[in-house]
Amino acid sequence: MNNKPKIGVYVCHCGINIAKTVDVEAVTEFASRLPNVKVVRNYAYMCSDPGQLLIREDIEKEGLNRVVVASCSPRMHENTFRKTLAAAGLNPYYLEMANIREQCSWVHEDRDEATAKAKKLVYAAVVKARLLEPLYEKEVDVEPASLVIGGGIAGIQAALDIANAGFKVYLVEKTPSVGGRMSQLDKTFPTLDCSACILTPKMVDVANHPNIELLAYSRVEEISGYVGNFAVKVRKRARYVDVDKCTGCGICAQECRLAGRIPSEFDMNMGKRAAVYLPFPQAVPAKYTIDPERCLFLTRGKCGKSPKCADACASGAINFEQQDEIVEFKVGTVIVATGFDTFDPARKPEYGYSDYANVLTGLELERLVSASGPTGGAVVLGEGENAFVPKDIAFIKCVGSRDKSVGNEYCSRVCCMYTAKLAHLVQEKVPGANVRVYYMDVRAFGKGFEEFYDRVRREGIRYIRGNPSEIFKRGDKLVIKVEDTLAATPLEDEVDMVVLAVGLEPRKDAREIIDILRLSQSADRFYLEAHPKLAPVDTATDGVFLAGCAQGPKDIPDTVAQAKGAASSALVLLSSGKVKIQAQISFVNENTCRGCGYCVEICPYGAIDLVAVNRMGNPVQVARVNEALCKGCGACAAACFSGSVQQKSFMDRQILPQIAVLGVMK
Amino acid sequence: MVDVEKLKEIARETVSRDDVKYLIGWRQGTYGFRTAPHFVGTPEEADNLIFSPLCSHNLATYLTLVEKLPVPRGQDPDSRKVALLVKGCDSRAVVQQLIEQGIGRDSVFVIGCPCRGVVDLKKVEAKFPGMREKVSATWGNGTIIFNLPNGNVEVPRQEVLAGKCLTCRYPNPLLSDLNFGEEVAVWGSDDYADVKNLEAGSPQERWSFWEEKFASCMRCYSCRNVCPMCYCEDCVLDRLNPQWVMRSVNTAENTAFHLARAFHLAGRCIECGECERVCPVDIPIMKLNRKLSKEVREKYAFEPGLDPESKPLQASYRPDDKEDFIL
Amino acid sequence: MSAEFEPNVVAFLCNWCSYAGADLAGTSRTHYPPNLNVIRVMCSGRVNPLFVVNALQQGADGVLVSGCHPGDCHYMEGNFYARRRFTLLRELLEYVGVEPGRFNMSWVSASEGAKWKDVVGEVTQKAKEAGPFKQFRRDKINW
Repeated sequence: MNNKPKIGVYVCHCGINIAKTVDVEAVTEFASRLPNVKVVRNYAYMCSDPGQLLIREDIEKEGLNRVVVASCSPRMHENTFRKTLAAAGLNPYYLEMANIREQCSWVHEDRDEATAKAKKLVYAAVVKARLLEPLYEKEVDVEPASLVIGGGIAGIQAALDIANAGFKVYLVEKTPSVGGRMSQLDKTFPTLDCSACILTPKMVDVANHPNIELLAYSRVEEISGYVGNFAVKVRKRARYVDVDKCTGCGICAQECRLAGRIPSEFDMNMGKRAAVYLPFPQAVPAKYTIDPERCLFLTRGKCGKSPKCADACASGAINFEQQDEIVEFKVGTVIVATGFDTFDPARKPEYGYSDYANVLTGLELERLVSASGPTGGAVVLGEGENAFVPKDIAFIKCVGSRDKSVGNEYCSRVCCMYTAKLAHLVQEKVPGANVRVYYMDVRAFGKGFEEFYDRVRREGIRYIRGNPSEIFKRGDKLVIKVEDTLAATPLEDEVDMVVLAVGLEPRKDAREIIDILRLSQSADRFYLEAHPKLAPVDTATDGVFLAGCAQGPKDIPDTVAQAKGAASSALVLLSSGKVKIQAQISFVNENTCRGCGYCVEICPYGAIDLVAVNRMGNPVQVARVNEALCKGCGACAAACFSGSVQQKSFMDRQILPQIAVLGVMK
Repeated sequence: MVDVEKLKEIARETVSRDDVKYLIGWRQGTYGFRTAPHFVGTPEEADNLIFSPLCSHNLATYLTLVEKLPVPRGQDPDSRKVALLVKGCDSRAVVQQLIEQGIGRDSVFVIGCPCRGVVDLKKVEAKFPGMREKVSATWGNGTIIFNLPNGNVEVPRQEVLAGKCLTCRYPNPLLSDLNFGEEVAVWGSDDYADVKNLEAGSPQERWSFWEEKFASCMRCYSCRNVCPMCYCEDCVLDRLNPQWVMRSVNTAENTAFHLARAFHLAGRCIECGECERVCPVDIPIMKLNRKLSKEVREKYAFEPGLDPESKPLQASYRPDDKEDFIL
Repeated sequence: MSAEFEPNVVAFLCNWCSYAGADLAGTSRTHYPPNLNVIRVMCSGRVNPLFVVNALQQGADGVLVSGCHPGDCHYMEGNFYARRRFTLLRELLEYVGVEPGRFNMSWVSASEGAKWKDVVGEVTQKAKEAGPFKQFRRDKINW
């Protein structure tokens, strides 16, 4: 085919939007004298059907092989006209647009000046059009499976949605059981329904779902590849219990020499467990795990004459020889739902959390009021003879949130409401309790929140506006030093128990996933979404989505909604089975590439690698673009000293003539 | 004192190794104060090695300059190491080449030569004009001693040392597999006085300074070819499509060439001064390079060629980089 | 002199922020001088510093590079690299005697149509004050 450029130039009036300030006829006449221009037309609305038809007919009849449309911004109609070209059988990337509306007719008043500028813009578009090359959008297959990292409510929901749509899900949870933070909660605000009652059915569904492979007590070690084709490596940690044999009867835990002597993480270290344990009764999978850091046999090689758990297990499930297992599989999409940690109030020493046993965090009180908790739901502090029921109870809000001094400027969004909920529960459980809440602001923004806040105040819980400065001990009592800022009075409030409404923070090991998936963090250190408004579940890496508190603090309904959003975004890829790869991506001239690696360092998507090639018998390194990962920013092209890396449609040799036209033409 | 015999011994041992292809060092030149790169392939060839204040060449250039000839089918490419003598500044070139993957660490055997400064040939030849006989030189105490035909002449080093040596802060090699000679105390410091001087003028004054220099450029590309960091096999400034710089030799094209060359070395120039040394029309090329070195140090606290594990300046950033000029 | 000198300014705008901001200026019907012409690239990180040298050679009296505000880059990091490159290039240009007002850089977001208008005004004015660029302009320009 003769590829000598035959350019058609189409000047749009856009009604009077362009024609009023730009002499469209003059631009048309000017364009007709430009090199390689075969056809020039102007029309009232090029984007209309008749307008597009003009272009199509000229391509077909006149044999045009490049098209310049001088109209509105390419951000508006580039896709429209690309489709026009494609419909006429021309490669859609043979289109160049001149923006003579937003950046010309609309911003200039003088008709002569605007017309002169429009000519210039058309000329620059024509010289670039001459040099355009056909581009092709490639497609890659999407592996019909998904990886969900994190088995809290976000991960559970996302996994269930994807599995229910008929796709394989690998759900990886680092602790021995799914359930996450929600399983630690007693009731949920503002409806006060039982957290376990609504969560456990979903946990069981996960375990029983034919499409879900649950990898509990496991960690993702490595993810490589790109959207549609991620290769995942997961380390399944040794439980020292053969899960196929374990019936979950629990005799091992009863027999364990350390039974009742190890703080239970699930009960926020307030309850006790054995070295072989089920984190909580409803755990899924209901399989026991031996804590390798506590078990006498595993740490010292000796446990009495023989390990009692192994002796007691009727099914012979205890296996001290078990090793970590590496599981490898491929998925098309990844959902990150790794959740949050609560703020450690030891970082605010003025509240005495490390010093006084009756200063608790919200999550600790949550375990205390829970029927499955260490006290069976009784609000009792201290042990044995020292046990007592606190009567005067104070909550302090915004501990570790909205606090620049600890580096957390953000609002944790759940503390206002969980404080109201816990205050209500405590008052219900402790007859005659005197409950007050110290607060900076109350943010009751969600559905039913304000009503609930109102309800607990009517129930007699006092809200005192003030940010306590100090907590100290006086006799048996804790004293809260605070100024009631509404009454402008300094107070010293004597209480039996202080509950710190600690905020939410990113997981302490959040860095691991960042390194594995090249995620970014926002200023609050939570994982960064691709766009705060329009892509809140996406990440900068195609095919990787966020769900739940890993992206930022949120309550259960918001978490579930985001998990469903992430699942649906993943399903868009999984169900179409194909993913289109951008056409305007970078490429490397491997003959001139020097392999210096600047482009590799700069690429924000890890889309460029140095590969070894053979250059006339000599081994050399050159850069190579992974087309599926490249997003077409072109930063690599600007970094390349030898011009060996170029971006399609934005090549140096396509841009330099534009510069010349714009520089020279007056 | 430099023990040249010891150096020759080291060289003989080195080139006798199975994993060494050849050694690159310096030898006496053909006349006057000239020296030349010396490729030692056999132990006998080590006899001609020298190391003296006349050894100004940065031999690291040859690591990337060497032409990779096609390897006949069925043969393996020669993967033996190249042994290289480096001064402090030269070693920074090797480090920067490692950072930029121009060479593999296992493809080079670096012999470090702590250096007390090398001469600027132009200064020396002005002092002793018309010297035809071969002359050698040694380092004295704060001086350079020239062994002229009619006896030794001792000259204060300030009078004959190259500009880069007067401000040198890295006289000792930063990377070596083997060291020859004793470590040298750092005696130079750099306040970029030459750059600041020029900066102080008006734009018109600065342009008239450079216009004269650039106008005299004949685009021989020596500055580029000698530079150990200008290692692209296909230089962007040689390209015809796109043609960044026209072939014609005039102030506009010459300026564009010099700006592009200098910019491509921003954060990469290790200030060995080779470009300026080889310039046949005495363009103060280091004054351009050093401007960027100064900015890179002031703005980003960065110096190239110090740490093989560091990231290149132009391939890294800090979110809080200065941006006072941005609208 | 019969007419006031009208400079030619070549501007490189990133597609996502500055080009969108310039579009918004149009949609909002703000008015600004016609001296500046835009070349659209996907990211300010794509702008090869040699483009700027080349624009001055090829007739531009002023050059602007505009991208997303730091932290807002559509490609996360492109504007950070651009910032380093152009900080150094600007120093180099001024050092050889290019007037300070000729090369400019700006951050204009997609919502800053008003700022775009101001930037165009300022950049045009600076180029006007600097006068016709002569230092290393090419005599004969072909494309």
